[in-house]
Amino acid sequence: MNEFQFGDKIRHILNQGLSLDSRKAARLQAARELALARKRPEPVGVVASAGVWVGNMVGDFGGWTGLSLRLLAPIAMLLIGFGAIYTWQQNQRAAEVEEIDAQLLTGDLPIDAYLDRGFQNYLKTRAAEE
Amino acid sequence: MASRSELSAFLESVERRAFKQAVFAVRDEEAALDIVQDAMLRLAEKYGHRPAEELPLLFHRIVQNAIRDWFRRQKVRSLWTTLLSSLSPGRGEDDEQDPLETLQAADGSNTQEAPAEQLERAQVLEIIEQELARLPARQREAFVMRYWEELDVAETARVMGCSEGSVKTHCSRAAHALAAALRARGITL
Repeated sequence: MNEFQFGDKIRHILNQGLSLDSRKAARLQAARELALARKRPEPVGVVASAGVWVGNMVGDFGGWTGLSLRLLAPIAMLLIGFGAIYTWQQNQRAAEVEEIDAQLLTGDLPIDAYLDRGFQNYLKTRAAEE
Repeated sequence: MASRSELSAFLESVERRAFKQAVFAVRDEEAALDIVQDAMLRLAEKYGHRPAEELPLLFHRIVQNAIRDWFRRQKVRSLWTTLLSSLSPGRGEDDEQDPLETLQAADGSNTQEAPAEQLERAQVLEIIEQELARLPARQREAFVMRYWEELDVAETARVMGCSEGSVKTHCSRAAHALAAALRARGITL
């Protein structure tokens, strides 16, 4: 008799000894019922819960028509507002850059000074002294 | 995901074997009942949402852990009992368990069987249970899970937290030791 046959015979004999007296059987049954009572509630799936959330949102806003008016319209206005602010900021920045450029171009030193020979001599002697 | 009825059917199908396994391990029926109850509660509370086919492995693992927890608690308790025993009067002989109390009542379904055969069968069963309880814990766990719970080698290895080779070794040694012990007591299967 190999190990498997031996194990099989032992299993048959052990299964015959599974009958318990009524007290132990009742105790096991009570334990089982207690365990079933404490079973975790079945979790709702993520997709299903997202669907429920969207449904609730739509329902809260009075259906899809109400949703477009009460939720989508403010969102659209907000997006338009952000766009307007961004454009205004870009224009402001461009205007500042333009102003700086203009100040550089129309600075204290007239651009004709760089064409003046005497001024160039002055710059050379100044550089040599330094 | 296991439904309530699936979980109930599963627990009903395994509770008695789990009880017997716990009795083999701890040799105390009340403690074994507590262990099975704890294991059922843990399974339902923590793993009740898992698919029904995962429940057997999880439950066996929980039962084995519950048995180990019981031994740990006993260790701590016995330490305190030893420390405090000198302060309390010794227990009388009345506390000792009467072996007659543990005898199984005759099963009603076996009324057609001759009393002598019933007695012989009950004796063989009792001897097998005694010899199983005498096996080293790991060998007994492996043998019972493989041949009584009918888990395969891989599943048993997962429950026991060891390699498949170890499971085979434990099973083989348990089978040989059990067969030798039964032979020594004059039982041939």
